[in-house]
Amino acid sequence: MKGFDLRRRWKGFVLFIAVAGPGIITSNVDNDAGGIATYSMAGSHFGYQLLWSLIPIMVALVIIQEMSARMGVITGKGLSDLIRERFGVKVTVYVLVGVVLTNFGNVIAEFAGIASSLEIFHLSKYVSVPIGAVLVWLLVVKGTYRSVEKIFLYACLFYVTYIISGFLSRPDWGEIGKSLVRPEFDLSSGRLGMIIGLVGTTIAPWMQFYLQASVVEKNIMTKNYKLSRLDVIAGSIVVTVVAGFIVLTCGATLFKAGILVETAADAALALKPLAGKYCSALFAFGLLNASLFAASILPLSTAFLVCEGMGWETGVNKKFSEAPQFYGLYSFLIFLGAGIILLPNIPLFSVMYISQIINGIVLPAILVFMLLLINNKKLMGEYANKRAYNAISWATVAILCILTIAYVVSLIT
Amino acid sequence: MMQEPDLKMFLFFSELYGRPVVDSEGRTVGKLADLKVLLGELFPRVTTLVVKKRHEKKLAALSWNDVESLNGRLVSLKPGAESRFTPLDVGNEEILLREDLLDKQVVDTLGAKIERVNDIHLLIVNRDLRTVHVDFGVRGILRRLGCLKTVDRFTNWLFAYGLPHKFISWKYIQPLASDPKKNLKLNVTTLKLQELHPSDIADIIEELDKANRSSVFKMLDLETAAETLQEMDPKLHLSLIETTPEEKISDILEEMEPDEATDILADLPEEKKQRLIRTMEKPYRQTVEELLKFEEGTAGSIMTKDFIALHRDTTIAAAIEEFRQTTHPLETVAYLYVTDEEKHLLGVITIRHLLLCDKQEVLGRLMNPHLIKADCDDDLATVAELFAKYKFIELPVVDKENTLQGIITLQDIVKAKPEEL
Repeated sequence: MKGFDLRRRWKGFVLFIAVAGPGIITSNVDNDAGGIATYSMAGSHFGYQLLWSLIPIMVALVIIQEMSARMGVITGKGLSDLIRERFGVKVTVYVLVGVVLTNFGNVIAEFAGIASSLEIFHLSKYVSVPIGAVLVWLLVVKGTYRSVEKIFLYACLFYVTYIISGFLSRPDWGEIGKSLVRPEFDLSSGRLGMIIGLVGTTIAPWMQFYLQASVVEKNIMTKNYKLSRLDVIAGSIVVTVVAGFIVLTCGATLFKAGILVETAADAALALKPLAGKYCSALFAFGLLNASLFAASILPLSTAFLVCEGMGWETGVNKKFSEAPQFYGLYSFLIFLGAGIILLPNIPLFSVMYISQIINGIVLPAILVFMLLLINNKKLMGEYANKRAYNAISWATVAILCILTIAYVVSLIT
Repeated sequence: MMQEPDLKMFLFFSELYGRPVVDSEGRTVGKLADLKVLLGELFPRVTTLVVKKRHEKKLAALSWNDVESLNGRLVSLKPGAESRFTPLDVGNEEILLREDLLDKQVVDTLGAKIERVNDIHLLIVNRDLRTVHVDFGVRGILRRLGCLKTVDRFTNWLFAYGLPHKFISWKYIQPLASDPKKNLKLNVTTLKLQELHPSDIADIIEELDKANRSSVFKMLDLETAAETLQEMDPKLHLSLIETTPEEKISDILEEMEPDEATDILADLPEEKKQRLIRTMEKPYRQTVEELLKFEEGTAGSIMTKDFIALHRDTTIAAAIEEFRQTTHPLETVAYLYVTDEEKHLLGVITIRHLLLCDKQEVLGRLMNPHLIKADCDDDLATVAELFAKYKFIELPVVDKENTLQGIITLQDIVKAKPEEL
């Protein structure tokens, strides 16, 4: 009996690994250049004081991503597909224009990440960015999808480097525990801005499109949906743990030393004298990987969602002449995004910052569409949101809206 | 303008949608919300007007016969029409243009592709409004955004170029179900989907969402369904099989060569596999059960039992007769196998021998006894190497006692999953 039980558990585990992926990949891509920059700043400016905010952020992340995955499993359609079918072509075009601009901002931020991470190794951006752009472009256009996905999956393991560099910096665990258990709700404008920044980088609009598309691509059956949910929850925890360790590392070193980080590259350089040269190299390597990973997924995901909504051919296994809009948009995003970073004296930091503002403005709109769709009984049947779940998710949207508005207001004033 | 019975006029659905509906005295009743079409004709007729009345939440329906005239600006009703509105009801053979077609995906059976409907092209002929084309092009999108004329003027001025039309005739359109619980409504005049090559159908099904995948699959006849299933990404087999009644699936499987059916069965969960095998006809079921005994990735698992084996004392004349009597379709007819009383494999003889040699000669003397063969337990990589090395088009498979069990054709090995090679 025991052997049988073990075997069943093993079978469940194997099935989980097979279904796992979309949630974990999405969450890891979420820790991109913009994310690392924001987390480093949070740690260096406020030490461990803002660590608590990652817990409610994680809850919101789980709720929102769970809805994306659920819609993907139940309808078998992408988010832009559903928006087009439910709300018509006009709304779709406006949403897509907004999402493309937002994602384009993020793509630029990723190339800023590539440039700044390799500057640590004294490589000029005029070399690193063009190489990075061509590499990313080829990875998707010339590689088969399967091997590309495997590269992405292995790339996730590199996030362990953040945890390693966190331990190498020998933080004060007692103090960390105290700030988590008894947070100080001192919401001065500086802190509020930072919390909003953390929310904005962690829950990005593109993630909802990308996650749902990946779930659809995986063709997960309704009866296996529970495993998919597990994957999303696991992914959200992973992303928060990684984010937490970045904040923690910077808090343990830079904050204590009184160094204020302005970019993620600064964070890596500042760690050099404090925690040895290995920590700095790890941080730079992690930033490069995060930037490359997100730079290969964002343009691809954007091209997918636009073509899906407009009814154009998609897919990396198609020829250029079969899917011109798909490849055109994909290439345009990469090469224009990289080109902008090559402009002399471009303030990389401001570029990343502006991309986060647009993220924040577009996010609530996307969430409203998601909630309207997931409550559509015709579409979701018995898998539509239950009342309690709806209350939590609308509340999440409301809080995000208020935060976003406050964020925008605080930027203007 | 509709008073003149001969007048033909093209209209786009986007030009009609949302237009005011006015009664015979010119008072606005509501807005045009949708049009209901009765499928069945080559270019189906609009039968019903769907109107969003003022101050009413529910949509109301009105027969097309109550329309007095129609133009790009408004829809005028006949006198007394207001009293003939009924609640909207959609029958099995009917579709709503906006609800079921506009912005949705359809199968273009001419191009064997899935397309998204940007607009619908209608034709007024003899007082009837008919669906004639579906617009997949950028022009359709721009028209609905209300900026087609501006864009046209701009491209003409700058590039002396007009965006191309992308219309497909209604007869090549198979609508898909927008509501997962509803069944597919067949464009019955054509059933063009059935006529596509199974690998095209497989590509189309792969691109669809789950609900439409199984409804498109369900409308195929057994033979087409069997070929389509074989052409499809094996990852989709399970979800399709689970959503189709078991009896139909086992009928579909029986349409296949037993080795192909076995391949598909082998990947299913044990319980499902056993239930499907139990519903199969007896002789077929026995063959499949025998083939399933072999482990996946071995020669035994991909071999077929469709071969001709004859005793060594058989004469050429008798062999030809035997060949003539074999009515079931063989995967390949290049070789005949020669065995002894216990079915031990002794040699092989080609069709060429049968045609050219003396009719009274016995097979045992003509056969080639130098055989390259595979063992049931050989893995596929080994079998593939044999094919590559000797350039055969088929290879006999024997068990440990050298008893002939089946053959593997070049096609079988080409179709084997790459990870097993």
